[in-house]
Amino acid sequence: MAQFRLQGSRVLAVDLTGDSVKAKNGAMVAYEGDMTFKKKTGGGEGLRGMVTRRLTGEQMAVMEVKGHGTCYFADRASEINLVSLHGEKLYVESSNLLCTDSALRTGASFTGLRGSAQGNGLFTTTVEGTGQAALVSAGTAIVLRVTPQTPLQVDPGAYLAHTGGLKQHFQTGVNFRALIGESGGESFQIRFEGDGLVYVQPSERNTIGGEL
Amino acid sequence: MPFTLLTSRMVEAQVLPGQTLFSQRGAMLAYRGDVRFTPSITGGQRGVRGMIGRRIADEDTPLMTVEGQGTVMFGHGGHHVQVIDLAGDTLYVESDRLLAFDGSLRQGTMFMGSQGGVMGMVRGQVTGQGLFTTTLEGHGSAAVMAHGGVLELPIGPGRPVHVDPQAYVAHRGDVRNKLSTAIGWREMVGRGSGEAFQLELSGTGMVYVQASEEKL
Repeated sequence: MAQFRLQGSRVLAVDLTGDSVKAKNGAMVAYEGDMTFKKKTGGGEGLRGMVTRRLTGEQMAVMEVKGHGTCYFADRASEINLVSLHGEKLYVESSNLLCTDSALRTGASFTGLRGSAQGNGLFTTTVEGTGQAALVSAGTAIVLRVTPQTPLQVDPGAYLAHTGGLKQHFQTGVNFRALIGESGGESFQIRFEGDGLVYVQPSERNTIGGEL
Repeated sequence: MPFTLLTSRMVEAQVLPGQTLFSQRGAMLAYRGDVRFTPSITGGQRGVRGMIGRRIADEDTPLMTVEGQGTVMFGHGGHHVQVIDLAGDTLYVESDRLLAFDGSLRQGTMFMGSQGGVMGMVRGQVTGQGLFTTTLEGHGSAAVMAHGGVLELPIGPGRPVHVDPQAYVAHRGDVRNKLSTAIGWREMVGRGSGEAFQLELSGTGMVYVQASEEKL
């Protein structure tokens, strides 16, 4: 299986021994050894997955990197976070997904209103199986645990990814009067309930919620 | 004249009497002591002849001469800074990535298009860095800028390194570079992986790669 390791906080090194990984198109910065790069039209799950992603806008420009040696990936000097999956499902925006082990399956999942407030569309990418994935974030992400006793509210713009059995819904912290005119700048949050982990980045994307 | 990294984006240089330092014009952030900054009209060393060479090669980033006694802090554009110490070998770097360098290093320009035949000529176009590059040779230090952190990859016999042209920062040593493609023609037409071209660096030395595919 491909070995993922961080070289500093902004470069991902992947050691390959004849196996392959899927990576964001164009994210290779250097390699040693023999590598081939091939564009994947869909990003997994064959034709059905591709059609779903076309419809949902979670179309990933993905390439398959195969070979012997070490391949280095980076994306606009963003910080990189490693996530090890052991059968569970990771939810993440495709734009934040840098590289995944080819043993992991990728798909799309409906997020509803949350996505539109994040400015990310109504669907998100899912990564499932056993293996490693690398996420890019604006600043080093922190991982927060959610338990049934301790739900978590996250700014939609700072939300990066989550795993586990979590229910999420959208909430507003303001009443109607505050929505028109003045606002505290924290109009919307995503509330996570259940059992799982949420990855939060120390930066806020521009969101529809954030502009209210 | 050693450089000391103060943060990942700021470097401090010792200036001693009788020694000269060159830096990109306007890159001084602060200084202590008695230090003079003079615009270097010839853009570096070797007088007018050197200047003409750099003009022709488009490697004539405005420089200033730093002299006196004290310490000077340099930084530019919030870019990451990498200090490279040379011990008689040659550093190849684009002039606009050079933040500051020791005046004891010999500065020159080199035609890179001569390496790797036609693909070598294409190299400049693909990297967006022109066909010439600046060289620094001798004993001393240089501070080089990069977008994002810098990865140092050693190049050895039978162990070439392939680099994305946009992520390439600099290299040193006895290294040949040529443009290579890792894909077939079928992939090149219409459906690229985004990794159509790489710089293949072979020989003995080191290549510096930035964690980004953005130009400075």
